[in-house]
Formats: sequence, C-alpha cells, structure tokens
Amino acid sequence: MTDAQLVARAQDGDLQAFEELVVKYQREIYGLACRMVSDPEEAKDLSQQAFMQAFIYIRSFRQDAQFRTWLFRIAINQCYNFLKSRKKFGEPVDCDEVALVGEEDSPEEELVSRDERQRVYAALKKLPPKQQAVLTLKLEQGLSYQEISEVLGGTPGAARVNYCQALKNLKKYLKSEEEDEVAMRTSTAVATRVSRR
Amino acid sequence: MKWQCALLQRWLPEYPDGDLPAFWLRRLKPHVERCTRCRQELAALKEMAQAVRTSPVADPGPEFWNDFSRELHLKLVQAAQEGRMAPARSSWWGRIPYLAGASALAALLLWVAVSYQTPRQPGPASPQIAQQEGTTEKLAAAPQAPAPAGQEPNNYLYVSSNHGEGTPPEEDLGDDLDSTLSGMTAQQKETFLKRLSQQQKDGSCLKRYSSISWA
Repeated sequence: MTDAQLVARAQDGDLQAFEELVVKYQREIYGLACRMVSDPEEAKDLSQQAFMQAFIYIRSFRQDAQFRTWLFRIAINQCYNFLKSRKKFGEPVDCDEVALVGEEDSPEEELVSRDERQRVYAALKKLPPKQQAVLTLKLEQGLSYQEISEVLGGTPGAARVNYCQALKNLKKYLKSEEEDEVAMRTSTAVATRVSRR
Repeated sequence: MKWQCALLQRWLPEYPDGDLPAFWLRRLKPHVERCTRCRQELAALKEMAQAVRTSPVADPGPEFWNDFSRELHLKLVQAAQEGRMAPARSSWWGRIPYLAGASALAALLLWVAVSYQTPRQPGPASPQIAQQEGTTEKLAAAPQAPAPAGQEPNNYLYVSSNHGEGTPPEEDLGDDLDSTLSGMTAQQKETFLKRLSQQQKDGSCLKRYSSISWA
C-alpha cells in the first residue's frame, strides 16, 4: 500500500494504517534525531513526539507534499526545540553515547575504526543544527535539494550552499580534532620521557 | 583564492555525478582539470561525505524497536481516545466569510481610488470666471474699424461688466470713440451724440453695462 493510501486511511482515523507508516519511517526519523541531538534516549523520545504530532495533525496534511518530507520537517522542528531548551538549561551530553549504541556487525563500520568514527561524531556535533540536518538528509536519507528545501525551508540553492558549507566545516573540525589528538600524544610522550629521567 | 574558484567551488559537492546543471558542468570540468586547489578541495569534500556515510547511526536492535512501537502505540491510542486529533483543514465553504470580507474591502478600496481620480465638479466661483471669459471674448470680438453711420450705437460702445478687473476699458473705448467720431462729419457727429444722449436718458445704454465712456 502506498503512502498516500495509508495517509488517507489514517486521516479517516485508522490507527493501524498510521502505525504502518510509523514502522516504515521510524528508523529514518530516529537516525535523524540521533544525529541532531547526539543522545539515543532523547532521540527516541523526540522520534515518538514527532510521530505523535504527525498523528494529531494528520488531517491537516494535504497530499501536495510527500508524507516522508512532512514527517522529517516535524522531527527536525522537534529537535530544534529540544536543542534550544538544552542550550537554555545547559544539559551536557556525551557524544560517545551514540557511537557506542549497537555498533557491532555492520560491514561499513568495520571499515572505519572506532577512533575515526568518534572523531566524525564529535566533528558533526560541532556543526550548527541546520548543517547537521542538511548532511543527514542528503547523505543518509538521500533527499534531493528540492526535498531538503521543503523540509528545512528556503530554496534548493540555499540547501546546496548549506550542504557545501557543512562539508567544509566538517573538514575544518576534523582537522582541529586531529591536531588536538597529535598534541595530546606529543605531550603524553614528553611526560613519559620526563618521568623516566 | 581566485574569484573563478570561489564561484565554482559552490558546485563542487555535485561534481561530477551529482545534481549539477549542464551549464555548470561545462565550466567546472575544465577548471577542475587545470586548478590544483579546486582538485584538492573536491577530494576533501568527497572524503568528508564518505566519512559521514561510513559513520551511520547504528541500529539499536529489535528489542529497542519493540519497546519503541509498544510505547508509541499506547500514546497513539490514548491520543485517539481523548480526541486529540486536530480537525481537517476547513474546506472552501468554511472560507466564505473571509472571501466576503476580502471582496468588501476590495470594493471599498476601489471606491476610494475612483473618488480620488474623478475630476472635481465646477464650484460656485466658476460662473464668474465664465462671465469674465465671456467679457474678454466680447472685447476681443469688438470691431476695430469705424462702422458705417447707419448702424446701431450699441455696436460702437465698448463696455465692461466688471470694475477694476482685467484690462481697463476706458482707454480703449475712449480711443475708439474718438477715432469713430473723428471719421464723421459734423452733422453725423451731432446725430450720433444726440442718439447716444437719448439712450442715456432712457437708460437703455446703462441698463446692461456698468461703465461707459465717450468723448
């Protein structure tokens, strides 16, 4: 059954049809939330909130746009609100949490070492929320710039510029992470030599 | 950085197989081949994209998703039972009051615009202006040459219906009367002046005009 048919049934109050949509998109929504808030528990809550919002307002959804992009938009707004409140109340989150969740038996993950992934996650976390969202939507969800602009607002050109800027920033942050790591290693080696003497 | 590099590097993430318009592809391809800096930038961007792709958020496993579905199902059922689902967007009929208000506002604005653009109707001062214009025409149409002796004396009098406004009529009238009289014989002059004084006595000459001059 297509999204449009499931949405039409859900708009008539069919909960089972809506739950089919949930099963279809829950991984994507959870992955997006995980990327943006870097906290699996919060990402789970935010995903559920996003689905709840979608269920409550499903009747106001007109099938001009795709249900998927509409859902992404709701989820991103939820994440933005959460990040705002976290910034306001200063809740610290350890980025290691995301990397440690179920990181076994993925062939792609075997190619990249744990340290490298940690560095990528740390660098991604430094990006502004909008750039994080653009990277995730483009690289992980495979959305076009047109679809990204529908999710985030603005034009497809602005989405492309954001994406390019996000990659450049990521490169800059990864480089600074590497430099920090080299400095740490150097200082540790010097400290070891000094202690031997 | 050259301006050309700055311009083209905005399209680098799409090169060579992305969503790149043919216009930019034609310009980007030769530039990347000859510009070392842009080639390095392209390689770095591709490396970053690859790093993100190869560091996905790991799937938390079936147990997590079971919990997720169960919790969400309970919340959805509760929301449905409490009737928290928002109603559908109002249809075209629901917007009739707004459409009526908008059309009324448009009509009001149109009326205001038309009333400002319509030229003003002639006011009470206009007849005076018209009278003045008529007087001027009358003066302008006055005969310059002396008329034959048999004509009505009214035709020879130059009069004005307004005092002290416009061209003073006395000088012109006086000159014309003088010139008229100078062209007459003594007998004609006498006849003319008699007739004129008769009219003055009757008041027929002064009844219509407020000023008159003669020699």
